[in-house]
Amino acid sequence: MWKKSPLIRVSTTILLFLFLEGASFFFIVEDSLFQQIKISGTLMYVKGEISSFISDVRYFVGLKEVNYMLLEENLDLKNRVEELSAKLKLNDTITTNGQSSNPKFSYIPAKIISNSTNKLQNFIILNKGKIHGVEKDMGVISPLGVVGIVSSVSNNFSYVISFLNITQSVSAKIAPSQSFGPMTWEGRSTNYATLSEIPYHIKFTTGDTVYTSGFSTMFPPDIPLGTAMESTLIKGAHHKIEVKLFQDYNTLHYVNIVINNNKKELDQIIKENEIQFK
Amino acid sequence: MRSNSSSFLLFISFVVLQMVFTSLIDFGPLLFISIYPLFLLTLPINTSINKLMIWAFFMGLTIDYFSNSILGINSAASIIMVTCQPWIFKLIYRKGDLENQIRPGMKQLGFYRFTAYITICLTIHHIAVTLIEDFGLIGFTYHIPRVLISILVNTIIILIIEFGVFYKRSI
Repeated sequence: MWKKSPLIRVSTTILLFLFLEGASFFFIVEDSLFQQIKISGTLMYVKGEISSFISDVRYFVGLKEVNYMLLEENLDLKNRVEELSAKLKLNDTITTNGQSSNPKFSYIPAKIISNSTNKLQNFIILNKGKIHGVEKDMGVISPLGVVGIVSSVSNNFSYVISFLNITQSVSAKIAPSQSFGPMTWEGRSTNYATLSEIPYHIKFTTGDTVYTSGFSTMFPPDIPLGTAMESTLIKGAHHKIEVKLFQDYNTLHYVNIVINNNKKELDQIIKENEIQFK
Repeated sequence: MRSNSSSFLLFISFVVLQMVFTSLIDFGPLLFISIYPLFLLTLPINTSINKLMIWAFFMGLTIDYFSNSILGINSAASIIMVTCQPWIFKLIYRKGDLENQIRPGMKQLGFYRFTAYITICLTIHHIAVTLIEDFGLIGFTYHIPRVLISILVNTIIILIIEFGVFYKRSI
């Protein structure tokens, strides 16, 4: 059997070769400092390469966890910012005694389960629902822009009308002048949206940043949305600006659902006034 | 077939011969004498490669031990040489030249092919020795003259020994 199987024969030869060479190199290393240093240098290099590769792999495998941790931390920080800014505003207005320092907005982190970008009316499904506190008409944002508005909620999931939907519009403002207008997606490219109804006299330049205006109850103000690109004058009255969006909707995974803590109050006041004027 | 004991005797005599030559010829760093490869290269053809490697290991180690070189250098180099030997032998071997159990000497192979055989094997051996000594390719160009001179001198010495000692005696 030993002589018949070429595999065993070749492998024993290779093993013997490696063993004898190894023994020779062992003697060399024992005998000569120069070779010892060279070999240990090489071994250190190889070891370093291998361990860095392993740590890379570990890092990659753990990325999911890291992402989640960052998300949580981010959310916590955001909530604290809201809280503190609410407190600051309270301090500014001395007359508002007895007002609670509740933050205006708080956030629920969510993961996107399903997302589409290739239709004219795109929708997103999130893994948070009624039991997590999500309600209809809440805004959904990411750090780089507006994602959409919750359209319907089940116990565990929520259905979001994506910003990439031709029926959707977001109130946005252009940075230096703070002039605002509706920003819509026109259904052409997922990277561009259109900001319209910016008055004729407003001055802006290509590259100005576009933020959310904060005039809707759904989205907090000053979320960066994109940069102004080309603009055209419509009927000599207002600008129509093409906006390059910061958010790449194809790589979106984690979002935050916005809870406006004053929404009920605001809705109430709007309703009352609407009834008055009807 | 040459028995193991006679191989062993030959082994000892090659070690002694090597010692004598290294003590006789000293040209400084430009030349290193190694004639013991002749022993490894003329072991009977049917010797398996595993046995060849073991012979090479002990031969190299013994030479290293008795000469002043770094212990292990010659054994590592000669194991590499011996591993390449079957392929080199296939290059110069003509069918019908040799019966299985015969020593591949000058008489059996003929002068030119024996010289080619020895030169190629010695080249591998010497390059291996320099590479292991240097541990890298950085200073290799500096060593080329040394390798070339050593190959030339060692080949001549080996041919002389082969012709003087084994040529007439072999079957």
